[in-house]
Amino acid sequence: MTDAAVHGHESSTGISNIKLGMWTFLGSECLLFGGLISTYMLYRGRVTGGPRPAQIFDIPFTSVSSFVLLMSSLTMVLAVSAAHKSEDKKTNLWLTVTALLGATFVGGQVYEFTAFYNEGLGFSTSLFGSSFYTLTGFHGVHVTVGIIMLMALVGIFKRSEVPGKKAEVVEMIGLYWHFVDIVWIIIFTLVYLIPV
Amino acid sequence: MAIIERETEVTATGIDIATPTTTYGVLKRPVAATGWRAWVFTVDHKKLGLMYGATAMFFFIVGGVEALLIRLQLAAPNGKVLNADLYNQMFTMHATTMVFLFVMPMAAGFANYFIPLQIGARDVAFPRINALGFWLLLFGGIFINLSWFLGGAADGGWFMYAPNSGPVFSPTHGIDFWAFGLQIAGVASLTGSINLIVTVLNMRAPGMTLMKMPIFTWMMTVVQFLLLFAVPVITVALFLLSFQRNFGARFFDVAAGADPLLWQHLFWIFGHPEVYILVLPSFGIVSEVLPVFSRKPLFGYPFVVFSGAAIGFVGWGVWAHHMFASGLGPVSVAVFSLTTMAIAVPTGVKIINWTLTMWGGKLVFSTAMKFSIGLIVLFTVGGLSGVTHSVAPSDTQQTDTYYIVAHFHYVLFGGAVLGIFSGFYYWWPKMFGKMLSERLGNWNFWLMVIGMNLTFGPMHILGLQGQPRRMYQWTEARAGEGLFNFAFWNLVASIGSFVLAVGILLFLINVVITARNPTKSPLDPWNSRSLEWMTSNPPKEHNFDVIPTVHHLDEFFHRKYEEDPATHTMRQIATAEEVLAEQERNADKHIHMPSPSYWPIVLAGAVPIITFGMIFSHLIAVVGGVILLFASFGWALEPSTAPESDFENQAAHGTALDKVGH
Amino acid sequence: MTSVWIMLVKKSRAILGFAAISIVAASCGTNAPQDTWQPKGPNSKIIDDLQRPVFAVAGIIGLIVAVAVIYTLIKYRDRGQPIPEQTHGKPALEITLTIIPALILAVVAVFTFGAIFKLAKTDDTEMIINVTGQQWWWEYDYPTQNEFGITQPIISSGQLVMPVGTKVLLRETSRDVIHSYWIPALNGKRDAVPGRVQTLRLEADAPGIYAGQCTEFCGLSHANMRMEAVALSKADFAKWVANQQAAYVAPAKDSLAQQGEEVFLNQCVRCHQVNGLMRADGTPAIAAPDENVWSGSAPNLTHLMSRNTFAGASFDLLSKQCRDEVWNAPSDVVGTKYLAGVTEECLNQKDLRSWLRNAPAMLPMYANATQLKATGGKYRGMPYLALTEDDISKLVAYLLTLK
Repeated sequence: MTDAAVHGHESSTGISNIKLGMWTFLGSECLLFGGLISTYMLYRGRVTGGPRPAQIFDIPFTSVSSFVLLMSSLTMVLAVSAAHKSEDKKTNLWLTVTALLGATFVGGQVYEFTAFYNEGLGFSTSLFGSSFYTLTGFHGVHVTVGIIMLMALVGIFKRSEVPGKKAEVVEMIGLYWHFVDIVWIIIFTLVYLIPV
Repeated sequence: MAIIERETEVTATGIDIATPTTTYGVLKRPVAATGWRAWVFTVDHKKLGLMYGATAMFFFIVGGVEALLIRLQLAAPNGKVLNADLYNQMFTMHATTMVFLFVMPMAAGFANYFIPLQIGARDVAFPRINALGFWLLLFGGIFINLSWFLGGAADGGWFMYAPNSGPVFSPTHGIDFWAFGLQIAGVASLTGSINLIVTVLNMRAPGMTLMKMPIFTWMMTVVQFLLLFAVPVITVALFLLSFQRNFGARFFDVAAGADPLLWQHLFWIFGHPEVYILVLPSFGIVSEVLPVFSRKPLFGYPFVVFSGAAIGFVGWGVWAHHMFASGLGPVSVAVFSLTTMAIAVPTGVKIINWTLTMWGGKLVFSTAMKFSIGLIVLFTVGGLSGVTHSVAPSDTQQTDTYYIVAHFHYVLFGGAVLGIFSGFYYWWPKMFGKMLSERLGNWNFWLMVIGMNLTFGPMHILGLQGQPRRMYQWTEARAGEGLFNFAFWNLVASIGSFVLAVGILLFLINVVITARNPTKSPLDPWNSRSLEWMTSNPPKEHNFDVIPTVHHLDEFFHRKYEEDPATHTMRQIATAEEVLAEQERNADKHIHMPSPSYWPIVLAGAVPIITFGMIFSHLIAVVGGVILLFASFGWALEPSTAPESDFENQAAHGTALDKVGH
Repeated sequence: MTSVWIMLVKKSRAILGFAAISIVAASCGTNAPQDTWQPKGPNSKIIDDLQRPVFAVAGIIGLIVAVAVIYTLIKYRDRGQPIPEQTHGKPALEITLTIIPALILAVVAVFTFGAIFKLAKTDDTEMIINVTGQQWWWEYDYPTQNEFGITQPIISSGQLVMPVGTKVLLRETSRDVIHSYWIPALNGKRDAVPGRVQTLRLEADAPGIYAGQCTEFCGLSHANMRMEAVALSKADFAKWVANQQAAYVAPAKDSLAQQGEEVFLNQCVRCHQVNGLMRADGTPAIAAPDENVWSGSAPNLTHLMSRNTFAGASFDLLSKQCRDEVWNAPSDVVGTKYLAGVTEECLNQKDLRSWLRNAPAMLPMYANATQLKATGGKYRGMPYLALTEDDISKLVAYLLTLK
């Protein structure tokens, strides 16, 4: 619920509290991923006998799963648009599709981790291993949290009203989802595409 | 989603208010109860502010006892009070406690209590998240201190440099507790900062533009932005450390090719903004107190605002001045030397503005005012010794000696702590409806100031004489000759620390005496200037009967006084009582406040269970995870209000706060 | 109210007096061995020349602020005057007061930059010494440098011996955690970081012993991780080098020292190297500290008695009286006194014997087997060896032969 209701006047900025809160939070997240990405960039070449990045990365596979994640941003946009038009069924549909695409990406990441592990890259193998799993793992956890939020939203919408303006909530979670996607584009470029 | 409507008739346009007809959650939403429930399930920013304050005060005493033990150990050569292991834990936990569990939560307490009041709001933007933040902080603080009883506390220093913090060099669980505990407290800081930023940006009373905001709110806003961007950096560092210690990651393992300086960079990118996070709240308090007791507006308000913001920005570009001896290379050293000098300028601006605020005023030396004046003088000492560090070659002599200990205690005790005490005396009547004794306050002030100068003043000399920090013993062989050697100054410092302790004890006695004293404080005891005084003492749960419309900086003052056009002196046109009566006449008919909630404390309680499990048994972590998930869903599905029948009209009764002071 | 400002004035006098006494007391009189304001070489002189004016300027500014504040408090205390005009500031005044400190700092910055780059120079180095930190002692390793007569590497610990008037470059690293090398009389600090090699310039003007202390917190016995730099005249330094390179002299047959050599071979040589020491079967005794100590290193004890300290520099090898004689010797004779080494009369029997009896009781270390899980059983420090008093006497006699 926004403050406007409490104060009887609009918010000072005209942006709802939850959206402003999410923007603020994402500002903080930039620094979190900034720190993790810096750590990875510092350590990516330090393999101490374990596999090198180029030996294990499967660029075509990861490209496909990256594409899937990018598509989920599109479906998220469609969900927000439907929510603004108060088309509840469409909103729920696109939210579900977004969550499914996200789940596909996470599934791909689990597969990829398993494959890398079998090729000899454990969490403790080398600095490359530790920092790779930490960075991509943190991103994967962010996607997973996003999926949980999307599914919870669908569940709540199906049962009844949510407090506050529905479109506002969808848009807020949409902000988060787009942010996580953008971070992945950066990670994919820096981790997978730029050679050590 | 956190502020909850009960009634729907008074709503803003464009906002759909749900009227829930079913209870989604497992539990009903609690009603505003009395007794302990009123505190444990509260989402009221004022109660949470007081709880932050009480928690911080508790940890201040814990950290203070640790400090006294350190000074006992160092009072004489070859001290035997503590052994090396215990001493290392003691100085690590003293700093950790004072920084993360005293100054930060105390500032959070003031911010929580006074920002909504100062901007004319009825609560913060996200009251439940606010409660979550408090409980996380409390549990995080307890979690860190549990290590004392479970094999020993962290022993790597609060800066926790790698690789000395690795599992090989610190085999106890102390650092695990430390890292996870700070992580928990970090989440509290992050949620708090988001909450307050949104509150300040979105919930100001009509007419209150950013440049009409009270200066305390301004400084706290800068602090919240610093927290917002600094906390994630330490979060990363702590994750790397925990992953190394608990899951076998190699981040600081030199044998695997790790660079130990990575930790230092991450830590100080957080750590230097942290310094400003600690001191800017007190700058804000002092900038409130000085004008009130000078009967004059803050001199150069825009300069103070912008210098605060400038400190906030430049504070990000000075971190490596903590690493002048680390071997950064001369170019980096020169650059960071320059930025460090640059940050001295906006800090100096503040000192000048405070002094000029008093210039031409009508100075009333209340205890609050004395603490603020003490801050100006003593912080200046710390600031100037700070400038001597910015001279990098000179710093390579002083760093890691007691000169640095002296410097940052003048900054943090002379700055942050004196400001906090000024805030206590100034705002006590506002928070509790009673005034702290000014007579005891006078003793409190002088003992603290004399004690702190005796304690930390000699440390300048000890440092220049070459006594390094973090040594559990000093020896006569390196103490020098004559009377004024290590032995003399160490003894003076130790005696001073007990004088200081007596000063703080007097404050606690003052609090008890005041609580027992039935005398109520006047409505506006200090002739104050800002909005928080335009309501009852303590404020009602909904803060203001009507949200004031703001026309001036120092709105309250301008409702009491107007300028005589001929003489330019001020004449009183209304008393505080009259201003308040006017407010009450126009009181809002329908005021909606959020209902209490079970979930913040439950959710926060799950987190230390998870981290405890990370250290000892992953099974416990799973249990914590289940509770966390359960609480998250409870939170999300919580009915937006208590059932109608349970609702009690709080506004009519005042709050439980009324009972605190009695 | 008046009582308040009278107290303030009194207090200010006390502060000023206190400050004055402090400055005097700090800068002279105490002769503390690690005093940072008594430079004894060109590098520390560069720092000193920079910091003295900076401290003076800082002191003056502090005084101005204090006086301004106190004057304001007295002048504008509440004497019943009306509430003043609500002025909000004078931008011109504030801009001026912002620019003045900025200019002062700009001047300081110029001199600071000069000093930073002077102290970072390495191309004028005349002598290199490798310095390696480990918990809780420093190893000094002199690579072969024929111009100083160092024809084979010298490995020592505890005391850094260097020639005067020579631009020495320390190349620092560490075998475990971060340490920091600091001889205040000769230069500021430089951290010894594992995995990195970092340099520090040292040069002493006159022969003498200069005290220092590890200044990066390095664990349990950080407080005991001391060092001493011994500057010798060039001639004395040549003598020291010659002695360090002298061949091993086995103890006389059937002496107590020879029995001590046997104890040493049974116990100590697992970690401590003595160059030239032979086993009974005629093979050289090679220490293997890497099998027993986590850092992989233990002090090399060849020519132990040429040093004045043991256990790094945690303890004195000289008795108090003999030590004072060396430390307080005028600079023209300090070299001779130092090169005399540790004689039987001057040996600090008490500390050395209790060290051999039970080292962890003297110095906090991780040498307790129950605490060694994290290092896979390897010590951090010297363990308790359960030597008999007899063995200790024999060892002391043997160690005394390591001139």
